[in-house]
Amino acid sequence: MSLDPRLVMSSVIFGLSIGGIYFLLAIGLSLCFGLMRIISLDQLLYYSIGAFVTYSVGVATGQFWLGVAAGAAAGGLASLAVERLIFRRIYARDPTFSMITSFGLLFGGIGIIKFVWGVVPRPVEVPTLAQFDVLGTQIPVYRLIIVGIAVVVYALIWAFLHRTIVGKAIRAAIENVEHVEGLGINVGRLFTLTFVIAGALSGLAGGVYAPLILVDPMMGLEMLAFVFMVVIIGGLGSIKGTAISALIIGQVVSLGSLIYAPAAQMAPFVIMLAILLIRPTGLFGVALTRR
Amino acid sequence: MPADGPVLDVAGLNAAYGEAKVLFGIDLCVAPRQIVACIGRNGAGKTTLLRCICGFVKPLSGVVRSHGSDLIGLAPYDVAKSGVKYVPQDKKVFYDLTVRENLELGSYASGDRNWEPALNYFPKLKVHMDRKAGYMSGGERQMLMIARALLGNPRLLLIDEPTEGLAPGIVSHLREVFTDIARKTSLVIVEQNLPLVCAIADVVYAIRDGRVAAMFSQRSEMSFQTFEKFL
Repeated sequence: MSLDPRLVMSSVIFGLSIGGIYFLLAIGLSLCFGLMRIISLDQLLYYSIGAFVTYSVGVATGQFWLGVAAGAAAGGLASLAVERLIFRRIYARDPTFSMITSFGLLFGGIGIIKFVWGVVPRPVEVPTLAQFDVLGTQIPVYRLIIVGIAVVVYALIWAFLHRTIVGKAIRAAIENVEHVEGLGINVGRLFTLTFVIAGALSGLAGGVYAPLILVDPMMGLEMLAFVFMVVIIGGLGSIKGTAISALIIGQVVSLGSLIYAPAAQMAPFVIMLAILLIRPTGLFGVALTRR
Repeated sequence: MPADGPVLDVAGLNAAYGEAKVLFGIDLCVAPRQIVACIGRNGAGKTTLLRCICGFVKPLSGVVRSHGSDLIGLAPYDVAKSGVKYVPQDKKVFYDLTVRENLELGSYASGDRNWEPALNYFPKLKVHMDRKAGYMSGGERQMLMIARALLGNPRLLLIDEPTEGLAPGIVSHLREVFTDIARKTSLVIVEQNLPLVCAIADVVYAIRDGRVAAMFSQRSEMSFQTFEKFL
């Protein structure tokens, strides 16, 4: 079987952009589990909220990027409210408790979205239709912008965690919450900050992905399995692992569709099972115990 | 915060893990610049006592005061900020962080950027500042944990089994360091190394089955033979 190099190039770029979205969504989930030991499936709600706010602000102002910023802010604010009202009360519980709670939040939130925006899928205009030629293939510039945003977010998160004292405290708390508290640091504030960052990134993911899909209330659920796989493959709590895993899953979904379409949905699961058989903690994860 | 009263005053402290009661009416007092040692068998309740004092275990009842201020009910980070720091037994530094980053976190809450006094106790740390703490030996990790806790000039250090598993040379170095630290900071040390206890302690509490079985404050009473029967 021979593949058209132009289709391959196009698929690789598509895979990179979808991988970028997976990364933006999964990094929050990964950090939340690494630090707070919670499985925060409600991140997918902030993703949907981000997309809808991007849509509404875009329609009202005609400014797509203003909409994306508002979507990220809305994701952050919604996650702040949820952390304060709900998660703060269940950090000490078993991770499965947080998973069930967050699943409930996700469905409850979908109901609210349906109430506010209705059930009809909404289109969001692509901010640029420009394309450029790579080896005879027309590549949409907007897909590369998504890749660029994911790269910038990775760099910013890395710099935050490695170059700021608050980021270092978060890394330390991922290792040992009690020791960080013993140094006089309020870990509860680190939890809140991490949760808000995760929510804002999920909102950002929804906003930037909105022009490439139809924004609808169930869009978060459609991402659930893929994002979960990215987090598991990368290793809970590892940003490097999450980035590499998002890259892999993005390419598997994209190139898989090109090579043999029926396998595209199944292939990421096969990859996940294979990696977990070899490394049960994921590519870069460490064994995390319950606190 | 009032500066009067003992550095630590524990009275009638009761604690439990679920249904299992661990501490039964513990009384303990620490004066300024004093080294207090707690000895006893594994499971006697020594670690629980320290964890109650620094807020990680909520006691059932009793009093824990430092310079007259009540510590019970404070979050562990507030206890630490009040000047009562805990060095746990596990020697778990932040493995993925460098020695410098570990120390930065030690001074984050207090804003104390003067690391020299703490590093002068452990000059070895100065040459490993940019090394990941996870690559250090057990003795070096213990040094780092004590140096980290010293930042911010605490008035009381609670140190759990500091010499466990360490080489004799490091133990004798720690002995000198503890004596030096006690010129400014009071120490409560949970320790099974009886020669060390005999050498540095001003007061020794023998803990047995969650109770203070005996208290020794006279040098003449402190001997290996006396303490051995509590282990």
